[in-house]
Amino acid sequence: MPNILNAVLAAGLLAIAITPLHAQKPPETVDFSSFPAQSIDDVVVPVPSEVFIVLDKLGNPNWRSELRDSLGRQSGNRAQVALLLGTVIAEGFVAVEAEDSEKVKDIGRRVLTLSKAINVEKAVLERSKSITDKAEVKEWIAVRKEFDGALQDVKAAMQELGDDDLAQLVSVGGWIRGTEVLTSIIRKNYTTDSAELLHQPALVNFFTNKLDNLSNKRLAEDDLVDRIRKLLAAIAPLIGEGEGDAIPSENVTRIHKMTRDTVAAIAAKGA
Amino acid sequence: MKKTLSFLFCLLIVASAWAYVDDALSFAYEAASPYVKKGFSVREDAWGGDLGVKDQQAVQAQLFKGNEYWFCLGTDVKGAVLSVNIYDSKGNLINVETTRAGRLSSVRVEPSRTGTYYAIVTVHKSPVERTGWALVYAYK
Repeated sequence: MPNILNAVLAAGLLAIAITPLHAQKPPETVDFSSFPAQSIDDVVVPVPSEVFIVLDKLGNPNWRSELRDSLGRQSGNRAQVALLLGTVIAEGFVAVEAEDSEKVKDIGRRVLTLSKAINVEKAVLERSKSITDKAEVKEWIAVRKEFDGALQDVKAAMQELGDDDLAQLVSVGGWIRGTEVLTSIIRKNYTTDSAELLHQPALVNFFTNKLDNLSNKRLAEDDLVDRIRKLLAAIAPLIGEGEGDAIPSENVTRIHKMTRDTVAAIAAKGA
Repeated sequence: MKKTLSFLFCLLIVASAWAYVDDALSFAYEAASPYVKKGFSVREDAWGGDLGVKDQQAVQAQLFKGNEYWFCLGTDVKGAVLSVNIYDSKGNLINVETTRAGRLSSVRVEPSRTGTYYAIVTVHKSPVERTGWALVYAYK
């Protein structure tokens, strides 16, 4: 009997010992208004494949038909090159969904050319090679990861060079092309579930704030940047105010037209 | 000379801050590695910083209904106890599953709506004043 008692006691003590702070249940609710602003970090911009794989689950999109024939032309304008680079990396994610090796390899090479134009070629040299190698053997998950890595490497290299503004433009360019493809697919087979994927208010706010606070005056006054500010302002009221709000098909079509025209403007800038 | 020393001192502080975020990031990726085998793609982008004991940091994330996510937290401080919990925009907890092993903590969520979510990182206890942390996420 004392042995049983000792065992129970030991078990009790052990239970107390292994119920440290981390085992405490987290609160079921929190009040974000009580969080100081500096304690809330910016949103991480999702890569296009995060939303593309949901579309795959909802249906069977024809990814090949979403690929562009031309990846656009670059000019001597750094804002245009950064935006174009973003759209080209986003195209990479579309090509991965389409499982188009040749297109992926072409995009990998183009990422390198555009990176060279804004002095961050070194940062993506390995990635570009890796994209080509992995596309050759059709390792699609690995290729997707390399495009994500290329995006982060380019941005990090720009930030190292003090070009944080330019890094934001790469993200914005990618998001616009990703949204163009997303809306193209949704409008072909509209459902409220698929349209809900456009509810991205934190991202629209994030990009709006970044573009409103560019420190480089030349970039801040660039025509394309101004056009994108207007695009974001026009998209904001179309993507649903609250979580779960239905986004009508007319809104999807409007967002598609706006993003398509903006991507065309980015791509044609050097033409 | 004084200016040079000040500059070098600042450089040292920045470099050491990056060093511990880098270490924490390695642990965060380690926390995410089991899920790669389950078909999750781990993002290359990450959040990170340092916090005092009992401090919290919220990070915003755009999540999509239909995806499954693992948020994986790492710290460079041995003996530190940190947690990560995910809340929707109205402040409701949406954790589905949590794991913790040493310096690694992870939480799985399946958002019921597309929109803005918050990952809240908390340092519960630590042997040091400021605890480095890094957070990555994986999606499927």
